Amino acid sequence: MSYHYNEAFENPDYHFSETLEIDRKRSSQKNLFSHQSPYNSSLHVSSGEHGGRGQNYPLAVRMASMRHGSEYSEDLPTVYGLSRSPHGNSMDNLSFEPEPELALSPPSTSHLLHRPDTRRISTGSEEEKLVGNLASMSTSERIKAIQKMPENMKKKREIRNKVLKEITEKSRRGRAQLSRCTQCLQGPALLFRRFGNSLAEYFHALRLWHRTLKIIGAEFGTSVLSYFIFLKWLLTFNLFSFLINFSFITIPQFFAAEPNNVSFTGLELFTGAGYFQQTVLYYGFYTNATISKIKNGPSYNMQLAYIFTVGMYFAICFLILLLSMAKSFCRNFINPQTYSGNASRLLCTWDFNITNEKAVKLKQKNLRTQIKEDLMEVNREVLNLSARERLVRIVIHLVSWAASLGTAVAACAGVYFLSINNAKLFVNWHKNDLESQAATLVLPIVTSLLNTFVPLFYSWLGHLERFQTPGYRIYVTITRNIILKISIVGILCYYWLNIVAASQSQCWETLVGQDIYRLVLVDFIFCLLGSFFGEFLRRIIGTAVCASWGPPEFDIGRNVLELIYAQTLTWIGILFSPLLPGIQMISFSIVFYVKKVSLMMNCQPPRKAWRTAQMTTSFMFLLFFPSFVGVLSVIAVTVWRLKPSEECGPFRGLSSMYAAVSNWIKILEGYTASKWVVWIYSNLITSELFFFILSVLVLIITYLYWQIIEGRKTMARLLRKQIINEGKDKMFLLEKLRALQRAKQTVRAWRGQGQQSPYSAGSSRGTGFPQARSSGTGAAEALALALRAREAARWEDEDDDKDF
Amino acid sequence: MGNKQTIFTQAQLDAYQDCTFFTRKEILRLFDRYRDLAPQLVPLDYTGKPAVTLPYELIGSMPELKDNPFRQRIAEVFSENGDGNMTLDDFLDMFSVLSEMAPRDLKAYYAFKIYDFNNDDYICKSDLEKTVNKLTRNELTAEEVNLVCDKVIYEADVDNDGKLSLEDFQHMIIRAPDFLSTFHIRI
Repeated sequence: MSYHYNEAFENPDYHFSETLEIDRKRSSQKNLFSHQSPYNSSLHVSSGEHGGRGQNYPLAVRMASMRHGSEYSEDLPTVYGLSRSPHGNSMDNLSFEPEPELALSPPSTSHLLHRPDTRRISTGSEEEKLVGNLASMSTSERIKAIQKMPENMKKKREIRNKVLKEITEKSRRGRAQLSRCTQCLQGPALLFRRFGNSLAEYFHALRLWHRTLKIIGAEFGTSVLSYFIFLKWLLTFNLFSFLINFSFITIPQFFAAEPNNVSFTGLELFTGAGYFQQTVLYYGFYTNATISKIKNGPSYNMQLAYIFTVGMYFAICFLILLLSMAKSFCRNFINPQTYSGNASRLLCTWDFNITNEKAVKLKQKNLRTQIKEDLMEVNREVLNLSARERLVRIVIHLVSWAASLGTAVAACAGVYFLSINNAKLFVNWHKNDLESQAATLVLPIVTSLLNTFVPLFYSWLGHLERFQTPGYRIYVTITRNIILKISIVGILCYYWLNIVAASQSQCWETLVGQDIYRLVLVDFIFCLLGSFFGEFLRRIIGTAVCASWGPPEFDIGRNVLELIYAQTLTWIGILFSPLLPGIQMISFSIVFYVKKVSLMMNCQPPRKAWRTAQMTTSFMFLLFFPSFVGVLSVIAVTVWRLKPSEECGPFRGLSSMYAAVSNWIKILEGYTASKWVVWIYSNLITSELFFFILSVLVLIITYLYWQIIEGRKTMARLLRKQIINEGKDKMFLLEKLRALQRAKQTVRAWRGQGQQSPYSAGSSRGTGFPQARSSGTGAAEALALALRAREAARWEDEDDDKDF
Repeated sequence: MGNKQTIFTQAQLDAYQDCTFFTRKEILRLFDRYRDLAPQLVPLDYTGKPAVTLPYELIGSMPELKDNPFRQRIAEVFSENGDGNMTLDDFLDMFSVLSEMAPRDLKAYYAFKIYDFNNDDYICKSDLEKTVNKLTRNELTAEEVNLVCDKVIYEADVDNDGKLSLEDFQHMIIRAPDFLSTFHIRI
């Protein structure tokens, strides 16, 4: 992967000791030669990503054999000499040899371009090579490669101009036929790219809340910012859903709307019943007819539209979630096998987002405290507990888990009995008075109360228990909250699908939609109240009454789980109430502002470290796995198994919602023009064989990738060991040569000073040897000295030979 | 899209778009930010490629940078001759690397240069000591700083030469996935 490697290896001239190059580009005071070379050669053994692979193995074998002996033959400089720049006169930055991701990145034809990631271009012919490579890439790849280069702007522009010149020359230079084709493609391709760019710019210009996010990040850092970014991301899902539903389902419905003769009272806003029942808000209002404004004109089949719109939305959501999760996982995954030291995080965790003076001071103070604690190892619990203490700990853990699971079960039972009560209300449907309407609000209120207070109980339990690390406590608390929320949603779905759907009520889908509307609304109200009580009052208490507590910190985990819960409810509700995402959109926007104001006014920046990247990935995974997949199962059961109500909705009278599609396919069979649709349907969508083959393929590919990953892990481990061994070899060598030099020096001093000092000859012969070598620091300096001494020794031997 | 601006030629804008991670609008917006630092020094017409350099004091007073303990190093790393005075090119380059679209390797490379105070392409112990002091506002004792630096070198130095090379640093970065989101300045 390195230019140097390719050339140096193939050129036998470089296998001599003089080829050791010690050169620095900028400051001349320190002289460190690139010690990556042995690693490079061994790295290239494994990557096998370019030619010369067969030659690599003998080198590795030689190095392996050399490691165990103390015989360092003349072969040794070969290893170091490989790093030599083929253009020996320049003072290069040879230290930026290819990236450590070598073993992990997949082979690609443009492997030479991986170099520019971490390597500066310093010589003329390297540049030509780079320009040549860039010219042969496609436009978007080229732009990406140029953007990634670690050069300053002037250099990048030069290279870009050279590349463009090269491309135009190439297209002129004897490739007339091809260029004509590519030229006529180039015009529209350029237009298309410009169009894509301007589209992207418009999206960028939208930049919703950019300023607000900047302010939040400036004061509170990246961890709190991740909550708001997550909220913004969920908002886009709702926006997308609202737009599709509105355009494909609601707008056609307006053409076939029936008049609404129910009066509007204010209570509808809370209960969602009454006036709203006869509006486009709920499933029941939609017609099952085929809408056509003009007689014999184009018609719009509402049934198919409804089911296909909802299906398409969920399919797109699935893809988006899967891709985001994969991307996030890729970026943020740490191999758990590699030990991550705490101290090293120092260099990587300074938050450049924080630009508020107070926040910076606070962060510095926190870092100070963290470092002091690290040094004193206060955080480390005394691990040699007696058996009795350990038993007590385990018992406490078991008891807390039992308590939390018991609470969750109790909460579910409560919700279940309340919901049975709720169902009884629907039986007395005709009683439309205030009392029964208000009674419908009981279930949502109790559910939200449970969702608010039981997590507090869990946090209190978490404080009681003693965990090994604070991070572990956060994980356990979040897990318990998840179990609670999943159980509640599960019980509610069971209630809706088994009890409400099977009840003899008039329009059960609308009833479910109303239930979900109420739940969403009450949840939103409780969220606002929670902000008020949780943060505002807590701050008042913390600063005025009980000053030792201090202002509260923003609880990221709990808030994100609330968001996921709300989004789950919305997704379930899309089928029963197509405009629910619009309502949720409004509620999320309000929540954003309320949370931001509350944060700025009441909270202090977080004190403990919060692993933003990992937690974001986990939350995205949570959004996908229990939440979205659960919703998909609920929708699947509804569409395939449940009988739609007889008197309302687009699927009235059918045996199941899915029957609309199968009926349509049967109709299509009559037309010869659409035989291919029928073929696809019967052979791909409804055939089990197809899905079986698909699953087997997916499993095979997964297995292959898994094996590749395992292999690369092993390789990375071996390479790391090799690096460490090389370091030890170097130390050993140094000592030996230092000793040799000292010995030679004393011999020389003893032999007399009259001779021309081979040192000066040697220094003129060498290339770029260090001038200031007085400092004893730096193993590499000593090595340079040592090798110079070795040369000197060789000269001396030659002199000795001549003498004889 | 209409070419309504007269600050840059279309070719210049295309070059900037190809060389940074910014879109056309963002480049123009960044130019406005640059110009706001010193309206009398920066001309409104860059078509003639004027050689205008803003001194470090102005750059370091930007609200995004003024409280950052590493602002001087950032300006030095991205400026052309290492003294902290930045041209528009350097300015764009800096914010492009610090934007959220820059890949991890590029950020790691520049972060390494920022923490390398003596510009010798290695983060040696003195560099680390300066970093730690900047991170904690000089309020740790010398012994604590020493211990911390020793610990860092012990944990991160793979090839045992007593200092961190770029590869050691990159290896460390891979184990800190938060780096991508923290090495980021929103502008």
